[in-house]
Amino acid sequence: MPDVEKNTVDTAAIATMLQSKDAEMKRILNYCVRCGICAESCFLYMAHKGDPQYMPSYKVINSLGILYKKKGNVDKSFFEGIKGLVWRNCVLCHRCYCPIGIDIPRMIDFTRSICRSQGVYPDHDGGESWL
Amino acid sequence: MYDVYGFIRGPMVWLSFAIFFGGLLYQARQFYVLTMETSLPRPPASVTGLAKGAVKRSSFDPRTMLFASAHPVLAVITTAFHACIIILPVFLLAHNVLLFESFGFSLFVFPEPVAGLMTWLVIFCGIFFLLRRILFDHVRAISTPYDYAILLIVIAPFLTGYLATRQWFGYESILVLHILAGELMLVAIPFTKLKHGLLFFFYRYLMHYEHTLGRGSRTWSGTTLHKRGNANA
Repeated sequence: MPDVEKNTVDTAAIATMLQSKDAEMKRILNYCVRCGICAESCFLYMAHKGDPQYMPSYKVINSLGILYKKKGNVDKSFFEGIKGLVWRNCVLCHRCYCPIGIDIPRMIDFTRSICRSQGVYPDHDGGESWL
Repeated sequence: MYDVYGFIRGPMVWLSFAIFFGGLLYQARQFYVLTMETSLPRPPASVTGLAKGAVKRSSFDPRTMLFASAHPVLAVITTAFHACIIILPVFLLAHNVLLFESFGFSLFVFPEPVAGLMTWLVIFCGIFFLLRRILFDHVRAISTPYDYAILLIVIAPFLTGYLATRQWFGYESILVLHILAGELMLVAIPFTKLKHGLLFFFYRYLMHYEHTLGRGSRTWSGTTLHKRGNANA
């Protein structure tokens, strides 16, 4: 378990977590054709008048996608940066629709697990809100 | 020129088709290796029930799925684009002449004006997708050079094919470009994002998730690509 007080992450543990699901996650990340059709199926995207940061594929590509791209070699600030993407910008309602069959919430869920493993949690009492 | 033409019309065609079909078989096999039957609740196995369910939840049902999620114009354009890309090369007169020359049989062919219209449709839709990728914030935000390249790979055979049919800009050169573009597309399909042409059916009909069109009988098995370092082990 990483020391939450220190500003460090366990990159070996992150890499192990990434490897444990790489057959699925890397495959799906490469499979996404980036059509953007998932956008309008997300109520948060619609509520934010088309802000790309709320688009389901954007959330995954810029969190889990980067984690795989960097093979887990990230620092604490990276997790602090994606925290909003995977918690504030997504409620895991499972309504995001991908025309080619990507299960997007499954990927957000996995990203949250990696965040939690590094002591990064949502700010329930912070200033951030969904809407 | 004729040597090049002979090579790309001969051995390279067979090689491209071998890579195309071999690659698709590999992708299908990988799907079954990396997924497993799920014990999660799913719809009954009745064939008629399944068919009804699939139609009910089909991408073509305007009340659901694609048409509910995407803008109606986008939904129509993307459906037409995909249909033309798959159907047109198979039922094109010129391709069927080659098929007849090689194997002694041919398929139904579209009349030339219809084929021309479908080609225009593919080119028009391709330009639409290109502009959409450039102009729409949310699509541009996730676009990479790879995505533009994929679009180019798909459009090139249709554009060069149209030019070759009209015999514009030097028939022989354009024909060589057309055959090369077609072969590039065939080779690219199994190993790039274009594999969604095949895997769409596996992911949308077999995988167990919110928007499955079929029974959703399979789920990821958690197999890792690495022999060591499996966190679940």
